[in-house]
Amino acid sequence: MGIEIIQGIISIIIIIGLAPLFAGFINKLKAILTGRIGAPVLLPYYELQKLFKKETIVATDSSFISRFSPLLNFIIMLIASAMLPIGFWKPLISFNGDIILFAYMLGLARFFQILAAMDIGSSFEGMGAAREATFALFAEPIFFFTLGSVAFISGQTSMYEIYHSIRLDNVSYIVFIIICSISAFLLAVTECSRMPIDDPNTHLELTMIHEVMILDNSGLDLYLYQYSGYIKLFIYGILEISFFYPFSAHSYLVGLIIFIFGAIILTFTLAIVETITSRFKMKNIPQYLLFATAIGILNLLIYTFTK
Amino acid sequence: MGNVLSILFCLSLFYVCITSRVKGFVTVLRIQGILLSIIIVIPFIYHFSVFGIILPVTILLVKVYLIPKYINKIILDLDIKRMIEPTIQQFSFLLLVIVTMTVIFIVTHILSQSTELNVIPFASGFSAIIIGIYIIMFRKKLIVHVAGFLILENGIFLFGTSVASELPVMIEMGMLLDVFVVVFLMGIAINNISTTLSGFDVTALGRLKD
Repeated sequence: MGIEIIQGIISIIIIIGLAPLFAGFINKLKAILTGRIGAPVLLPYYELQKLFKKETIVATDSSFISRFSPLLNFIIMLIASAMLPIGFWKPLISFNGDIILFAYMLGLARFFQILAAMDIGSSFEGMGAAREATFALFAEPIFFFTLGSVAFISGQTSMYEIYHSIRLDNVSYIVFIIICSISAFLLAVTECSRMPIDDPNTHLELTMIHEVMILDNSGLDLYLYQYSGYIKLFIYGILEISFFYPFSAHSYLVGLIIFIFGAIILTFTLAIVETITSRFKMKNIPQYLLFATAIGILNLLIYTFTK
Repeated sequence: MGNVLSILFCLSLFYVCITSRVKGFVTVLRIQGILLSIIIVIPFIYHFSVFGIILPVTILLVKVYLIPKYINKIILDLDIKRMIEPTIQQFSFLLLVIVTMTVIFIVTHILSQSTELNVIPFASGFSAIIIGIYIIMFRKKLIVHVAGFLILENGIFLFGTSVASELPVMIEMGMLLDVFVVVFLMGIAINNISTTLSGFDVTALGRLKD
């Protein structure tokens, strides 16, 4: 029992500690692939350090929601990261049905971020909030149909148990995992506002979804938002990597090695996708998200009617 | 293995619903041709026969190389615009397809209880037939209609392989309706429809009166 708690705590520390590095690594690879030298890999840490020292200025018209929304975001990300298994270590929070808690924890964070963006009263941020809400509406079914179909097949409802129960008995299971990882990748790209859906680099009003909502935040508030953004990206990365644990045949050490390799491959994939694709048109995004949902529905149909 | 390829076939059907370029259709036709030829080759791995190899090779040649190449040539020659001009939005189209596919899987499940059939290839083939018809219904361009017909026909092919594992070779050859499609394409190319109807827009036919 004691060792499991220690492992759970180590997992959270790994997630919190390595999340900015993951983002920095993606940016560095992206720069190299486009022929630039790029910023140092540790730049996100320096940026966070800089923001931590700066003074926090709050808009005069804003209410208490803008004050506590950044902190709430950060705490929720910490709780969500406590639910994910790293290399077959049992996470700190794990019980039957935590898959739903996980989804709605992230939903709660998004809800408060949207409220805070509207609270400031700028029409510009309201537009970003509206976009975020719209795309979240299409992204949530992806999560439930993808992870839900795995949960349905394994008969488990706890994330740790679900990932633990994937077995590679026949070839169709491998294909199933690969297909699920495609839709999980689309989910990660949407939720973390990465390239084909949203461009993290532009600061143009017509193209932004996520970045626009935190324009009026500064200092510690911005620090918390940025940090929770990095953690969120890493969380979705882990969600994706966890599909490939069964290849390690349930050994802790090999699980960890798969985790590290998976993270490296995922950074490469994200960087390559961001280099070779351009942003989708805003009106075309819902159909791509529905495509990912359709993959989940197909999985569910196949496993319901072929049993 | 046939099940896995059928699942990939279904994914290609989803992609065809959201793509908005004519080139996307051509790519999907190529992919489906490769998938179908692999599905047919699989039974012959264990007992090799020359007749068994003829059909997959023909499919590979016709479906993957000749027809897509010819469609691409027509697109270039007649200077067809790259967008597909749908009559309903892709989002609603995909929703419609998901609902249809769900119904088909349920129906197939019910059917499989009374007769012997492979559920996944049967349902994928059936879905491809319906989606081919949808594409013909909900897209305006004539060249996309031809692609829709080819998808429908790929569906018939997959449908056939799921019902019986080994059909007589001549009947299987008869399934190569693709050759018939070439007649369509030649009609489009020779009559140079883009100039007479000013684009491959079938809505123009609605204005005809007697």
